[in-house]
Amino acid sequence: MTEKLGTRDDASSAKSFNEAMGIGTGDLTGVKHAAEDGIRLALHGVDHTARPTWKLNETVEFYRDVLGLPLVHAITARGWGPPGHHDFLHFFFDAGKGATIAFFYYIGSERPEKYAPEEHHFYFATHTAWAVDSEEELVTWKETLEKRGIQVSPYTRHEILESIYFTDPNGYPVEITRRLRDIESIDEVDARLTLQAAMDVESEARAAGRLMEDIDAVWRRKAKLVDAYKEDAQ
Amino acid sequence: MIEVHVIDVPEFRPMVDTMRGQPAVTITGPVKGYWTISAPDELTFDRRAMKMKPAVWYGIFTGGLNGEIAHWGRDEVRIVGTSRPL
Repeated sequence: MTEKLGTRDDASSAKSFNEAMGIGTGDLTGVKHAAEDGIRLALHGVDHTARPTWKLNETVEFYRDVLGLPLVHAITARGWGPPGHHDFLHFFFDAGKGATIAFFYYIGSERPEKYAPEEHHFYFATHTAWAVDSEEELVTWKETLEKRGIQVSPYTRHEILESIYFTDPNGYPVEITRRLRDIESIDEVDARLTLQAAMDVESEARAAGRLMEDIDAVWRRKAKLVDAYKEDAQ
Repeated sequence: MIEVHVIDVPEFRPMVDTMRGQPAVTITGPVKGYWTISAPDELTFDRRAMKMKPAVWYGIFTGGLNGEIAHWGRDEVRIVGTSRPL
């Protein structure tokens, strides 16, 4: 480690919003890969996810009183850092195994239109999925929430997950899910080949100035990659 | 020749099981985690026979498909050979 506790930069030394928030350009040109420096960075699960809310009372009522998640931490602060930052509350609900779901409530602000929920899969792609350990727990969540008056989706069995969905008072999607089986080594091999196929097809489409056409193109490329992968085994 | 690669995991294994014994269908594997179902002209998969849930059905060819989808429905998919590049 090159920096020691007590001598590191903190956010108050940042000169701009981008610097304070670590906002990059998104350009990966010249960015090193993990394999190049040999340092293996490790994570240990989710600490928290966070979203803004303009419905303070309903958010607390929903997560604490309806779902029953303990309210475990709350920060209140004058706006600091970049100019124009609102005074705010930042509060955390326990979601199990040390993970929390957190919200920011920006005092004196109104929800900009672009933060309004949309009935579109693009909007629903950003969601929180909480784990339960068994089929019984998943059924208990669905039936209990329904009895409490929450609209809950039917069960959906994906490949390795079975899930239910609902939304909070802000319109944010929430998923509760259980693993149907453990991840096997073939899952990792298959994920690598699938993404390789998709990235190849996307690169070719981009080079030709068009969008990727359909998933069938990825499935065809995948067939070629799986053929090669299997031949390596012989 | 049509080829469908199937990942050797429980949710996709019914694809292999329901193709066994079908005329003109060849099944090989699993080789390094993949079954391969081959047929000269066409192959039809039946969702109900496989007891496959919709979320898996819509990703049925994720293992790789050397072929063309001639008909795609909620309960049946028919594939034929393709001359398109893989």
